[in-house]
Parts: sequence; C-alpha cells; structure tokens
Amino acid sequence: MNALLVLSIAGLAALFSGFSHNKKLAVIVSLLGLAVAFTVNVLDWNTAVRYYNDMIFVDNYAIAFTGVMALTMLLIVALFVDYKESVEVPNAEIFALLFFSLAGGVMLVSYSNLLMLFLGIEILSIPLYILAGSKRHTLTSNEAAIKYFLLGAFASAFLLFGIVLIYGVTASFHIETIAAYIKNANGQPPALLVAGMFMLIGGLGFKISAAPFHFWTPDVYQGSPTIVTTFMSTVVKTAGIAAFYRLFAYAFPAITAEWIPTISVLAALTMTVGNVTAVFQSSVKRMLAYSGIAHAGYLLIAFVSISSNPASSVLYYLIAYAVSTVCAFAVLMVIQHTTGSEEVDGFKGLSKRSPFLAFITTVAFISLAGIPPTAGFFAKFYLFSGAVKAGHLWLTIIAVLNSCIAIYYYFRVITAVYSEGTDSTPVELGTVQKAVMIITAVLAVALGLFPEMIISLL
Amino acid sequence: MENISAQITQVAPLEHYILLSAVLFSLGVLGVLLRRNVIIMFMSIELMLNACNLLLAAFSAFHSSAAGQIFVFFIMIVAAAEVAVGLAIIVMIYRNIHSIDINELSKLKW
Amino acid sequence: MINAAWLIPLLPLVGFLINALGKKWLSKNIVSVVACGSVLGSFVIAAGIFIGLLGGAGAQTLSLGELMNAGGFSVSLSLLIDPLSVLMTLIITGIGFFIHVYSVGYMSHDEGFARYFSYLNLFVFSMLMLVLGANYILMFVGWEGVGFCSYLLIGFWFGDNANNDAAKKAFVMNRIGDVGFLTGIFLIFITFGSIEYAQVFSSAAAMPAGLAVITTITLLLFIGATGKSAQIPLFTWLPDAMAGPTPVSALIHAATMVTAGIYMIVRSNILFTLAPITMEVITYVGVATALLGAFVAITQNDIKKVLAYSTVSQLGYMFVAVGVGAYSTGMFHLITHAFFKALLFLGAGSVIHAMSGEQDIRKMGGLKKDLPVTYLTFLAGVLAIVGLPPFSGFFSKDEILAKVFEHSTVLAVVMVITFMMTAFYIFRMFFLVFFGGFRGSEKQKSHLHESPAVMTAPLIVLAVLAVAGGFINVPETLFGHHALANFLEPVLRPSLAIIFSEEPSHATEYMLMAIAIAGTLVMFAVAYSRYLTKSHVPAASEKEQSFLYRLSSRKGYIDEFYDMIIRKPLDWISSVLNDVFDKNIFDRIVNSVGELVVVGSGVARLLQTGKLGFYLFIMVAGITAMLFFNFMF
Repeated sequence: MNALLVLSIAGLAALFSGFSHNKKLAVIVSLLGLAVAFTVNVLDWNTAVRYYNDMIFVDNYAIAFTGVMALTMLLIVALFVDYKESVEVPNAEIFALLFFSLAGGVMLVSYSNLLMLFLGIEILSIPLYILAGSKRHTLTSNEAAIKYFLLGAFASAFLLFGIVLIYGVTASFHIETIAAYIKNANGQPPALLVAGMFMLIGGLGFKISAAPFHFWTPDVYQGSPTIVTTFMSTVVKTAGIAAFYRLFAYAFPAITAEWIPTISVLAALTMTVGNVTAVFQSSVKRMLAYSGIAHAGYLLIAFVSISSNPASSVLYYLIAYAVSTVCAFAVLMVIQHTTGSEEVDGFKGLSKRSPFLAFITTVAFISLAGIPPTAGFFAKFYLFSGAVKAGHLWLTIIAVLNSCIAIYYYFRVITAVYSEGTDSTPVELGTVQKAVMIITAVLAVALGLFPEMIISLL
Repeated sequence: MENISAQITQVAPLEHYILLSAVLFSLGVLGVLLRRNVIIMFMSIELMLNACNLLLAAFSAFHSSAAGQIFVFFIMIVAAAEVAVGLAIIVMIYRNIHSIDINELSKLKW
Repeated sequence: MINAAWLIPLLPLVGFLINALGKKWLSKNIVSVVACGSVLGSFVIAAGIFIGLLGGAGAQTLSLGELMNAGGFSVSLSLLIDPLSVLMTLIITGIGFFIHVYSVGYMSHDEGFARYFSYLNLFVFSMLMLVLGANYILMFVGWEGVGFCSYLLIGFWFGDNANNDAAKKAFVMNRIGDVGFLTGIFLIFITFGSIEYAQVFSSAAAMPAGLAVITTITLLLFIGATGKSAQIPLFTWLPDAMAGPTPVSALIHAATMVTAGIYMIVRSNILFTLAPITMEVITYVGVATALLGAFVAITQNDIKKVLAYSTVSQLGYMFVAVGVGAYSTGMFHLITHAFFKALLFLGAGSVIHAMSGEQDIRKMGGLKKDLPVTYLTFLAGVLAIVGLPPFSGFFSKDEILAKVFEHSTVLAVVMVITFMMTAFYIFRMFFLVFFGGFRGSEKQKSHLHESPAVMTAPLIVLAVLAVAGGFINVPETLFGHHALANFLEPVLRPSLAIIFSEEPSHATEYMLMAIAIAGTLVMFAVAYSRYLTKSHVPAASEKEQSFLYRLSSRKGYIDEFYDMIIRKPLDWISSVLNDVFDKNIFDRIVNSVGELVVVGSGVARLLQTGKLGFYLFIMVAGITAMLFFNFMF
C-alpha cells in the first residue's frame, strides 16, 4: 500500500522535475522513487494487511508482483539515460505517465474489490494511450495510439458490463464475498454470473493480449516508441496476468468446471496464433510483439492447474519473461539507433561489430526460446509440469509443439547476429545501457540456475 | 434505501432494467462496429458505459446496497478522463492527416 | 586448519583466473609466481590438515552451501576431508608444485607461457574438486574438468594437427567412459535416493553382497575408470596424449589424472566390495592391461611412448590390487608410482630438452656424461620402477604380488612375467639413452647440456621421494607396520569388515620377493648383454622381424582393430542412414513441417489486416462465441 503512495508521489515529483533545466533530474528522481517504492513494498512482506475498507489487500502475492513491476520499470527507466529515439514529449512527462501507469498496475495486483480492478485497468491504460502516441508527428505512432485507445475503451466497457452482471447476482464487488456466494450456490451458479465472468475474461483477455482479443498488440507495439513497447510488454503484461490470475484464484475457484475449458481453448489459440504468425515477421519489434502474445498463451496454461496454487510459477515465468524481454529490447534499441532499422537483417554482422552485444542477444533470445540453463526454460518447465499434473496433457502437448516453432524465429535473430554483415563499424554503448544489459542477461541465467529463489516465494 | 427500492420495483420489475441496459449496450456495440467516424465510435462506447451505469443503479436499488451507485460515480470520472485523452488523440491525428476516418489509419498490419 | 580446507581448491582457481585474464599483460615472472605459489599454498594447507589427521583428528565434511536443489534432487557443495582425500590432495599439490616449478624452466621459451600455466592451474583445481568433493556430482564435475584440461594441454601446441587429433582422441575415449560413469551415478541416485557419499555408503553397508543393481552400478563406474585411467579397452588415448608438453605428461598422464579411476574405486570401496563379479572383472582387466602395456613398451623407440605404455601397465597393477580387494595396496602403488613416474617423465623431459626436442632413443646414447644430474635421478626412478629393494616400487609391487598370489596363482605368474617385461623395457630405454656412444647428429651433440637448476631441483626432490617413498607402508614381514594401510583404515573400514583376508605367511612373502627380484635381475642381465655389451640398436625398418616383435611395435594392432570393428562399420551404417533415411525420409518430413509452418504463418499474418473495424468485430465475435458455446453446450 505504501508503494502505491510512493509511486503516486514519485510520479508527481517526476512531472515537476521537468521544470528544472537539468535534464538528468527527472531520471534521477524516477530511479530514486522506484527504489524507494520497491523497498517500502518489500518491507510489508508477510504482513497481509487490508486497506481502505478492504478495497485492496496487500498480501505476499501483491507484494511479489509489485516488486517485479517496480524493478522492471527501474531497468526501463535506466535505459532512458542512453535512449536516442526521438520522443517528442519531455522525459519528465514520460516518467510521470509511466509512474501513474505503474500505480494502476499495483492496484491490479493487489485489488480485493472489482471497483479497484476496473480503476486499476483504467489508470494503467490511460497513460499508455498517451505514451503510445508520444511520437506526435509520426503516423504509425498516431495509429498505435488511436487503435489502442478505441480497442482499450471498448474492452473496458465489456469488462465493466461483466462486473455489473456479477454485482447484480451477488450484490457485492468484493472478490471474497463473490467467492463465498458461488460456494453457497453448490456448483449451480446463476447464468447471469457466468455470463459476467466470461465478459471479464474478454476484458482482461484484451489486456494480456489473449487471442482472439490480441489484434491490437502487434500494431500498437510496433507503432509505439520502443521504450514504451518495452514497458507495455513487461510491466503491463505482468499487471494484466497477475490481475487475471488473482480474479480467478480468489473469486472463481469453486466453478473451475465452468471456465477451465474456455481458458484452455484461449491458451491454445493464443500461443498458436502468436508463434505461427511470428515466424513470418521480418521486423524484430513486431516479432517480439507476437512472441509476447505467445507467452501470454503459455501463462494461461497456469490457470488450468489453479487448484494446486501455481502462483509462484506464474511469478517466476513473468520475471524470466520480463528480464529476457527487457534485455532483447535494450539490444533492439541500439540496433535501431545504429542501423536505423528494426529488421532482423539489422542484426547481421553484430558479432563482428560488438561481441558483447552479440553475446547478450544470444542469452536474451535463448531465454525467450526456453532453452536451458536459462530462466526461460525452467519457467516453461514449471508451468507445463503443473498442467500435466492437473491432467491437461493435450494442452501441454500443444504448448511444447509451440515452443518448437518459437525456437525457429528466435534463432533467426541469433543466426543473423553471427552471420556476415555489410556494416562493420563498432557499436558504441552507454555505461548505463551496458549495465542494464549485463544485469538482465545475468539474471536470465542466474534465475535458471537457482529457480528455487523465486519458486519458494509464494 | 428500502423505500427507493420498493418504489423502483413498483414502477417496473428488475428484468426490464436488465433488458433495457442490454439493448443499450448492444446498440453501443453495434455503433462501434458499424460506424467509421472515430468520434461517433467513441460516442457509442460512451453509450455502452452508460448502459452499465443504468444497470448498476438498478441493481443497487434492487439490492438496497449503495456500492453500485458509488461505482457509477467512478465510471463517470473514468469516462471523463477517457474523453479528455481520446479527444486529444483524435485532434492529434486530425492535424496530421486531416481526417478522422478510422480506415485511413491502417499502415500497421501483417 | 581443517576449516581452511576450502582454500585448497580455491587457490589454484584464483591462480587460473589471474593467469587466464592477465595473460596478455603479466610478465613471465609474475605468471610463474602466481601459478606455483597458488599450488604451494594449497599444499601447505593440505599438509597442515594431514598432520592434524595423523594426530588423530577425525574425518570431516565441510559444507560450503548448495550447488543445486530441484525436485527432490539436491547436490551439496561440500568437501570431504578424510585420510583418502587428504592423501590424494598431498600428491596432487605436492607433485603438482614441483612440476609447476619444473615447467617454469621447461616452458621458458614458449609463447603460450601464461596460457600453459592457466591450464595447469585449472587442472589442479579440477583435480582437487574431484578428490575433495563430498558427492558423486562434485566428483563428476572435477572428472570432466580434468578431462577438459587434459584435452587443452594435449593440444597445447595446436599448430600441429597431429596434436589436435591426439587431443580429440583423448576426449572421445574419455567421453565413452564418462557415459558409463554418469549412468552409474544416475543409477546410484535411483537406488539410494542420494548422491552424497555419506548417505550412499551408509545405506550400501547395510545391503547384502552380490545384488544385481550394485553389480551394475560398479560395472558402470568401472567403465568410467577404464576411460580415465587408460585400461583395456579404452587405453589407446594415453600413448597419443604424449603429444602434450612433457611436464603435462608427468603431472596429468602419469601422476594424477589417470589415477582418478583408482581413487574413485577406493572412494566407493564398499560398493565394489559388495559386487564380487565386478571385482573379478577389474582384476582380469587390470592384469591384461598390465601385460599388454608392458609388452608394447618393449619395442617402442620414442622415450615418451615407452613411459606412456609403462604408465598404462602400472595402472593395470593398481587395478589388479583394488580388484582383489587390496584397496590400500592400490593406493600405495598409486603413491609410489606417482613419485617415480613423475620423476621418469621429468627426466625424459630433461633429456628431450637437452636433445633439442629429439624423442627417439635410437638417436641418443651416452648421455650420462653430459647430463649427470638427470642421469642420477633417472637411475633412481629406474630402480624404483623395476622394484629393486629398498626403492619405493619394490614395496608396493611386492605387496600387489602377495595379494594376487593369495587370490590366484595363475594371475601371480602372469604378474611376475609382467614385472620381468617391465624390467626389460625400462633397462633397455635406460641403456640406450644414457650408455654407449652418442648416435645423434653433430648439431645435437654440440647442444648437449644439463638442464637449469629450476628443472633439476624438482628432479632431485622427486628422486628422493622415489627412493624413500616405499617406507610409508613397509609390511610386517620386513619389520614395518603398514603405516599407510593403518592411516587409510577409517575409509576402508566397511569393506574390511566384509573382506576376510588371511595374511600370507612370511615364508610365502619372502619367496615371492625373491622371485620378483630374481626375475628383475635376469632381465637386467638380458638387457645389459643386448644393449651394452653388444651395443645393439633397434632396427629402423620392420622387415625381417618376428611376429611378436611386430605385434609389440605396432602396439598390438589395437588401433587398427578398433578401426576395423568399430569405426568402419559405424562409417558404413551412418552413410547408409544418412543417404537413405536421413535425406530421403526424415529431412523431408521435418522440412515439410517447417515449410508448412512458414506457409501457415504467411497466411495467418494476413488476418492482421490493420483495420480497426475488423479487430473490433473479432473481439465481439470472440466474446459472443464464448457465451454461445458455454450456454448452448
């Protein structure tokens, strides 16, 4: 809860630091704010307190995901130090928007009332609409903003209608009261409530870009400034998945029979669509967008084993995905800046231009592809084995086949890195940029070597 | 609260409210699907939100719980915020392409 | 002191890191000091612990944390400090230190000076992990580590492709053994639920002898040992490994790494004791290897090849000893062999150094005048290896013979024959190198010189050890009290409780000693008359030689045999599989699936039309479909 306050205040502080002539001030304020937010967040570990008339419930689940989001954003803000792409909005405003968005994310992982779920989604999304369009004079950025905005508002309306229907049946917005109501219904929930639940799946499915609600993802990811894309594909995805999971773990565990078939179909569809479409992409940015869709599909697999509490597997997966993705995007930003393209071909000859970058790229993409000893492998392993134990063998088989397809397009980048390129000028890297790459790459490997660190948390 | 609840349900049973809201919501959806003018699409989304508001108010009265009506205020605030951001985006686009037809914007694909 | 045990492997690791990272900047002096100093530091600590153990301190497991823990499989990062591991540590760091010092002189003109020492330190670190680790996984890590360093060092002069081939051969042969070793470890985990020595051995001690699973485990472990310790059928890499620098041959391919197999068996003694069938296999493999190695060594003309086959043969002795259950005897021979074989190799290195790189003993001769120190120290090694009293080899070899005799008379006879062959090839080499007239070129002759002090000092130290090393385990027959066996007793206690061993009578022992000594002296006389009085020099051509001679000089045709029964059929099978199945069937299936996905992707991406209206439509359709299917069905 304190983290929420700190983040809101830090957002304002970042905004006002824009008045200073010192350009670095906003970055420093932001990094400081995130560090403080992370610290106060962690201090609440194992306390589990309910705040604001039980509107939010800060349990370990909330703290863990808040911590992940804060740290991920910290890395992303650090990337701003050496960020070269022209963003036509001052840094201070970007940071403020990111902070507000993150505050929404924190609400999403700690809500215990559907009102907070709705507000969280809106607070998370509205700054993102602006950020997506922050390259004001670039048409693609405009297009990304309007697509994201219209689809997002549309999806929220469905989400809202779902909440209203559930309220109509249970007379409460509180997820535990709803769960108690469902339990009393003895496996015969009113149709209106089930309909509301599916609308919620639709609304939240949009946020995590689950098929068939995923269409905005590639367009918006590609059109937005790369650094905003990084934020969307890590922090926003973490918040979305965590909110989704929290809803089903708290409110609907008693009627798994109603929603597990639907979610499994969504999961299978999402990863297949994501992976298959990614194969053809020549733009690495767009490919990573599809890969993000595919990963959302893998994550949905966790829902089918919800009775055995796979929260820590989800956490581990999201961390692994976040570090690898931040790492991949950090490299992509450099490539974009030096070659002016975000195509796979832009990676050619990278091993000659900068062996360091080549190595980092390899680690990031190997982890995304889920190859041991990186974290990506164990993340998939825990999710898939949970699904097998829950008896969903066919879903796991589809997931494994999809992982094979995924290797194809991730390795296209890696092979490009080690093939001959036309350009051979060495790549200059900023210190902070380099540090972020090293940290994420080391984490991607270290988490793979010591998965117990995370898996034993929740 | 009980009085209001009694009065409302005397005027019309709850089913009517649900039906009305559902129809309004569907009209909103159809509006979004069929129109190509961004402003009108956006207005249709507002219609969907208002359908939710109406239903919330009805449920709130029916259940005699204030929570639903309070929720309505939040929805109105969020809608206002969305309008502000949305119109800003629309203005930005209009400046660049002198049109607000959504089909003009389909550069990002495949 | 025992609490500082973690420093023992750490110091060489640090040395490795310093030399590897700083190889471009550090001067040769600093590199030498770092490399030798780190090993010396480890030795000092090990010596301190050793003194503690002598003073009655008990074995101890030093836990440094956890290596991994996943799904009920945990591996601790802990060191086992007990008499066996400390003894091995002393050999590795002690002999290792002297070989490091020797290398400073031997490699002084080499461009890869720092690279060489970084590898050497890495090797010492790996070897120490192998012997100090408190579970099979750490042993395996060290096992692979030494194999890797051995590969690097055999191919140290990678400019010559023959060296690279030798390195590859060593690596591949070792990998074959490793498969066995690793499978054995898996089976241990399945059977005992743990790979920690403490759990495995205590559960094993409660099991009956002769269980099929224990036999399988030990056979698999032994396969690993045949690879690493160059036994039949995987020994052929060791002679080729002589392509590396000579000090490497001394350290890795004579004194330490190749004895890892022995160490592993002695460490797991209780498992092997419970598997009598495996023990029989080990004994016979050991005897056969000892005989074959000695037989081939007789006709080799490369000084290092002679010593290499001699090592194969001597390792066979050790396996025979552990095979008949005399673990402490095996360890005893391991120690004495480490002394005298390291000495012989370093001496050979000194000779090669003096001969400007010449390794063919036919081109040497009469070197004792020019290389007095090398000559004298080499003589000590020779006397030790042929086992004349009171040199170290005498005691260890004799003990093996006694134990084998108890086990089987026939094998004892074979062993005596092997001893005689050993004496012959050693004296042959010795006479050809140091006596007679010089047979090399004039240029070589003008270059002849004694090696610098930095090389001769280690020779002298090792010579003293080779002479006196036997006294650590003098049997009762000769008025000693088996000090080494008593020292190792805590490690071997579970096995000793099972193996009922009757000490041979003193008369038998005296008789065996007499036979061995007599055989050696006979062979001395034969070699003396053949190579000194008649100044016979082995022929350069192979024509008109007896079948036996050719069999020996062509190394028993083992390489050709493997080539015929393994490589050629495999080549044939793989070419058939490649042409018929792989290209026509599997490639086509795989490629079609891949192409299908790519084509599918090309179609699937067209769904992403970029039109917002379409996206909205699909969203509504999706939600409607969800509602529809869930309420209709």
